[in-house]
Amino acid sequence: MGEDKKEKKKGIKFGKSIKEFVYGMAAHDTARFALKTRGSMEHLFILITMGDMLGIPILPPYYSLRLLPYVVPQISTWKRRMLREKDFTDTLA
Amino acid sequence: MNLSQVLAANPKMKYIMFGGKGGLGKTTFSAAAAHHLARQGHKVLVFSVDPQASLSDIFQRDIFGKGATEIMPNLFAQEIDADRRIHDFQNEIRKRILDRYGFDKVPDEIESYIAAASSEPAMEESAIFDAVVDIVFHGEYDYYIYDLVPLGHALYYLSMSSIYDEWINKVTELRSEMQRYDKVASKLKSEEKSEEDEILTELEEIRRRINLSSSIFTDKEKTGFFFVVTPEEMTILDTKKAEGLFSKFGVPIAGFVVNRVIPESLLSEKIPDYLRHRIELQRQPITKIGEVFGDRVVGSVPEFERDITGLDMIAKVAEQLFGGAK
Repeated sequence: MGEDKKEKKKGIKFGKSIKEFVYGMAAHDTARFALKTRGSMEHLFILITMGDMLGIPILPPYYSLRLLPYVVPQISTWKRRMLREKDFTDTLA
Repeated sequence: MNLSQVLAANPKMKYIMFGGKGGLGKTTFSAAAAHHLARQGHKVLVFSVDPQASLSDIFQRDIFGKGATEIMPNLFAQEIDADRRIHDFQNEIRKRILDRYGFDKVPDEIESYIAAASSEPAMEESAIFDAVVDIVFHGEYDYYIYDLVPLGHALYYLSMSSIYDEWINKVTELRSEMQRYDKVASKLKSEEKSEEDEILTELEEIRRRINLSSSIFTDKEKTGFFFVVTPEEMTILDTKKAEGLFSKFGVPIAGFVVNRVIPESLLSEKIPDYLRHRIELQRQPITKIGEVFGDRVVGSVPEFERDITGLDMIAKVAEQLFGGAK
């Protein structure tokens, strides 16, 4: 019985490896792209809701504060991205 | 029709508002209407959204920022303290951040944002706006009487709700699109399910609150909006103009109430020329009110011999307002 379980586990592990291999070959780039787009949108979203942090007053502050707790971790990367100087290396990113 | 008949003809009417220029008697009429309805056995809340509210003065009790206070059986009054509400709200946000991330203190840049956002001019209005949503949402009263701020503010309040509405729709749209990308990515990675987006949930909640507030203003069955006018040329013109602006926002106007009419009956008494002239002078505007607003005038209240404060005087106004023939 113990052997059986081991075999089964191996099988699952093998299946998983295949799955990961196929994912790496076919879908990884697409997923990465989707996540990257989502990341950009996240920053756009914070700009719209928390714009006044950069001196861009965007209505309405009361509701911005309601959303603030959810975006605290993203604030510093967002600010860096919004305020940095743009140069040719951006195109490599 | 008089005011009692308007209410009888609209049994679903639940929100009553008096609007008009400053100092014409909005608070007086709000208090009088509340008094009348409470005497009839309805549970009534009269509340003020004005930072310089005068319900405390008219009821001769300090109710500012104290929540709904019982003035007499069935009659409750409330003045919203916007500053305190903002203060409490800031603390609530700080607490949420601390709890969520297990911080000892709110990070500096976040803290300065919380402080800065709260000093913005729109903050106070938004806080009041939100407080009103809380009040009407619970729905424990038969009637809610809004003691509105002067016209300009009321219009600002209304336009704000439509701007908020558009803003929130745009942001929610963006957020849902982000969630779609999330789903695509997690599907490709064969993850079981993507995380529920808490921000989207919060946005939906904000949207629900904003819609509730603006839908009340434009509900023909449930809401009665009354303009207060006085027999003065300028007031009539301004009210006419305001009526146009309000209908642009889809606010149904239920009627006009004339205040501060000096009784004609005084003419038969021995009165000074000064008063005689005043009475003659107001005849023309009164005719004009009839021409301009016609049968939509639902009441006329005289100028009283003294200030309207205290329940006895309020009862007198209520009697005129609801029983007065017109």
